[in-house]
Amino acid sequence: MKFRDIPIRRKLTVVILLTSAAMLAFTCAAFFAYEFLTFRRATVQNLSTIGEIVAANSTAALAFDNPDDAREILGALQAQKHIVAAAIYNAQGGLFTKYPATLADSALPARPGPDGYQIGLEGLTSFQPVTHNDRRLGTLFLRSDMSEMRERFQLYGLIVLLVIVGSLLVAFVFSNLLQKRISQPILELAETARAISERRDFSVRAVKHGGDEIGRLTDAFNDMLGQIGEQNGALRESEARLQALNQQLEQRVQERTAQLEGANKELEAFSYSVSHDLRAPLRHIDGFASMLTAHAKGTLDEKARRYINVISESARRMGRLIDDLLSFSRHGRMPLKKIPVRLGNIVQEVLQQLQSETAGRTIEWRIATLPEVTGDVAMLHQVFANLLGNAVKYSRNRADATIEVGTLPGKDGEAVVFVRDNGAGFNPKYADRLFGVFQRLHSESEFEGTGVGLANVQRIIRRHGGRVWAEGEEGRGATFYFSLPCNPAETEGGTENT
Amino acid sequence: MALRVTKTNWRWLRRLQIAVAIGVMPSALTAPVPAEASEFHLSREFQVKAVFLYNFAQFVEWPPSAFDSPTSPLVIGVLGQDPFGNYLDEAVRGEKVNGHPLVVQRFRRVSDIRTCHILFVSGSEGPRAEQVAENLHGRSILTVCDWEGFARRGGIIRFVMEHSHVRLRINLDAAKDAGLTISSKLLRSAELVTGAQ
Repeated sequence: MKFRDIPIRRKLTVVILLTSAAMLAFTCAAFFAYEFLTFRRATVQNLSTIGEIVAANSTAALAFDNPDDAREILGALQAQKHIVAAAIYNAQGGLFTKYPATLADSALPARPGPDGYQIGLEGLTSFQPVTHNDRRLGTLFLRSDMSEMRERFQLYGLIVLLVIVGSLLVAFVFSNLLQKRISQPILELAETARAISERRDFSVRAVKHGGDEIGRLTDAFNDMLGQIGEQNGALRESEARLQALNQQLEQRVQERTAQLEGANKELEAFSYSVSHDLRAPLRHIDGFASMLTAHAKGTLDEKARRYINVISESARRMGRLIDDLLSFSRHGRMPLKKIPVRLGNIVQEVLQQLQSETAGRTIEWRIATLPEVTGDVAMLHQVFANLLGNAVKYSRNRADATIEVGTLPGKDGEAVVFVRDNGAGFNPKYADRLFGVFQRLHSESEFEGTGVGLANVQRIIRRHGGRVWAEGEEGRGATFYFSLPCNPAETEGGTENT
Repeated sequence: MALRVTKTNWRWLRRLQIAVAIGVMPSALTAPVPAEASEFHLSREFQVKAVFLYNFAQFVEWPPSAFDSPTSPLVIGVLGQDPFGNYLDEAVRGEKVNGHPLVVQRFRRVSDIRTCHILFVSGSEGPRAEQVAENLHGRSILTVCDWEGFARRGGIIRFVMEHSHVRLRINLDAAKDAGLTISSKLLRSAELVTGAQ
């Protein structure tokens, strides 16, 4: 685990322990160095003092050539355990006596070295002059092993180890106690932040523990929470206001729609009753015109008969107009009975009904496989009857009429069907007027009709939730499209000739 | 090494000779002793004794009355027949002890002795031991001898041969009578006796 990823608590403990350990290490190192130097100096001092005493005592032994005496004097060194070897050389540099007596001569320097001491691997060695009344009588050699120093330093090492372990233990305990004062507020702050972000409750406040940086952080945190809370409140308020406004608007729309629907229904009911009521006088006109013809058959001249004929014809035409209007009105008011419908079947039925009009004509039919939709069968039948009827009607002046029924890929969940002919077509400028009631782009004498058919188509398709539109050009035919919301699209299609 | 010897460290050479003499002694003892070797030993023995006489000056304190002045000479005397040849003169030549230059004087008779600090009483004085002892009694003279007769009559230090080593035997009472202070170090390396032997 990286240092930056471990918890703050442990970081603090580690920092404190490392600092303590470093401090202790430095202190102990300084202590050791000081002790080493002091001890070495003391050892040298000690050795030189002992040497001076021994040298002073052994002057007579040297002067009067008494090695036994000298040996005895050196024997006193037994009390100094760290002195492992000693020797006295006479003025000529010859070995005079040695200590311990059993020591091999080879273990001692063959000749005395220069006065002074030396610290080497074997320990401390020193050569000191033996003089009497400023007369040099010989040289004293002493060798002290460092065992005393070693023992002492082993003891120091043990003490230092105990001190370090003890100090670190104490530091650990203290750091554990003290780090809480630093880490606890941070942890609490973090915990508070977590709780707030989980519960989205901005009214919670972190507890401030003091005036230090963490205290300032807590203050800033609480201020921030306050600001967030305020903004949140304002946001909610404006949201509520917006919602209220929206509801109001919706309500108003509903009211208007209801008003509109009411007005529309009233209007339709009115037009229905008007149309219905108009039929009775029309029947009278037609009936009485026929009766007049029958009654005055012999008295009426050719001109009078023609006039009566025109009256009858007009009355019948007006009757058709009224019928169409009634049917248009009915299509707007009758409830839709929606079931799955195969458009292909409807097209076949309509073609059968159109046989009387297509008899004796050469028409190339191209009918693609049409999708299945959900809709009212009778009404959709009416749509195809109108569109195909128009196609047959407006292409009758062409010797090689071609009528195509196909589908296009529409938008999602939409089936687009078109009916295309190569007949008279229309001026695209007036394309939007095609679907209006009683709107006609060709004269009655050229192509008969009441001008209600396409209005019916539009009304039926709209009631199914679809759209209608048309493309065309004068003399080049027209294409009528309608779209219907469909079940999963099955708008595959090739062209089929009949 | 002797080739490098010059006048200035002539004293060093002298000590070397002594050391050689001491070093050779033990081996000489174990071997059959020819007459010439014995004579050689004898001369070495006196060489050592001469140095010892000189060393006594270092380890003995005389009362201030023994010296006329702080710079007056310290006299090492030889009474009777001198066995040292020139060893003694060589040993003390140019030496000083506590500011007193060392001087060697030879006396034929004890009555000749005026100023003397260390006196070697030669064995030749045997027949006159009584007279000599009487004459020197009460004077601050460190008397040294190597024969028993005089030691018994008040001689302070006696050279004793022991395994061809020269050893010292010191009569503390005699030293006290003479008003001399002998260094404890010297006493340490000597055999001590008291009273008349």
